[in-house]
Amino acid sequence: MTDVRFPQLSAEQPDAEGVLATWFVGDGDQVASGQLLGEVMVEKVSGEVLAPATGRVRLLVAEDRTARQGEVIARVE
Amino acid sequence: MSVTESATAPAEPAVRRLTTARAMVEGIAQEMERDAGIVVLGEDVAKYGGIFGSTAGLLDKFGPRRVIDTPISETAFIGLGIGAAVEGMRPIVELMFVDFFGVCMDQIYNHMAKIHFESGGNVRVPMVLMTATGGGYSDAEQHSQCLWGTFAHLPGMKVVVPSNPADAKGLMISAIRDDNPVVYMFHKGIMGLPWMAKNARSVAPVPEEPYETPIGKASVAREGRDATVVTVSLSVHHALDVADQMSAEHGVELEVIDLRSLVPLDREAVLTSVAKTGRLLVVDEDYRSFGLSGEIAATVAETDPGMLRVPVRRVAVPDVPIPYAHSLESAVLPTRERITAAARELVGA
Repeated sequence: MTDVRFPQLSAEQPDAEGVLATWFVGDGDQVASGQLLGEVMVEKVSGEVLAPATGRVRLLVAEDRTARQGEVIARVE
Repeated sequence: MSVTESATAPAEPAVRRLTTARAMVEGIAQEMERDAGIVVLGEDVAKYGGIFGSTAGLLDKFGPRRVIDTPISETAFIGLGIGAAVEGMRPIVELMFVDFFGVCMDQIYNHMAKIHFESGGNVRVPMVLMTATGGGYSDAEQHSQCLWGTFAHLPGMKVVVPSNPADAKGLMISAIRDDNPVVYMFHKGIMGLPWMAKNARSVAPVPEEPYETPIGKASVAREGRDATVVTVSLSVHHALDVADQMSAEHGVELEVIDLRSLVPLDREAVLTSVAKTGRLLVVDEDYRSFGLSGEIAATVAETDPGMLRVPVRRVAVPDVPIPYAHSLESAVLPTRERITAAARELVGA
């Protein structure tokens, strides 16, 4: 099982909150390592969430919800 | 100009979803891998990736010789693109906001659009001019216009206006492969950008392989028997929302035609639908007078006005600049409320 964390987009504020903008995959989908899973945003800067491993993805944060940078937002089982 | 059509989008939708912005980028990247003569240039297209994400990641993939940030001089870099196209390259040039056309229109309509004709058909200008359009986010009168009617009015350019991720990729690939200048107009509201108003249909399945969406062919976004709504770009989404609501509340079935291209215009798709429904509503986020909505109405009137059971209705921007204040802006845009009111009048619901 591998954690997927909210990427660090703001170096000045390491614990800044952002928004989970879009999931491109559904909960329980099979994903490949390196695949684009989602898009997040801190202020108006957006960043990509890539799959760290191959497996079945579990989404832990819903679209449009806030999350802290570094927080676990999904798992690949 | 010739209308070239080849392979169309595969019928089977892929599971993989993309935003419209990412679908455009994927189309550009796949073509750049195939053809070394394709270059991308414009303001903030390289390092920043396009302010609306239309070129994100291309610099990393293809390097600064093929993805080029230009100075703020639209006349210079659009002219550069035209010269490169005439010499056999296939440049994609981004005009950041279509509203900026005023400073570079001589290059666009006197050169890009006319060289093929001036040369007696001997010189081709295979370039894509892509540009962001549309309002709805309080960016005021110089950053919110659609203006596709202006470009479609001037001969010599194809004009495509996608409304969803799959068409955005397919039309981009078609535009790049086309030997004519193609103006590719993307509405900021359909791009699926995290910082714009969320639009459910701006993230959708997109086939992974390269494919062409034919230029000059409309699509029936929703079938219906009671009235035809002809529209384009973001307004397709509003029209579909209204159609679903009217079906649920009044049992009225609207047919929604997504034009996808303005030049060439798929008049046949409009006529086929209106012949079936007898009622026509045109929804256009561009200015009302002398534009797309009048052209669609004229198409029906010139062919057979007898197919209309009631007069044509139009929902468009009244002939005023787009206001900054959100309340005033939503009063002039073709919102769901305005579309609903017009559609109900049309069908007497």
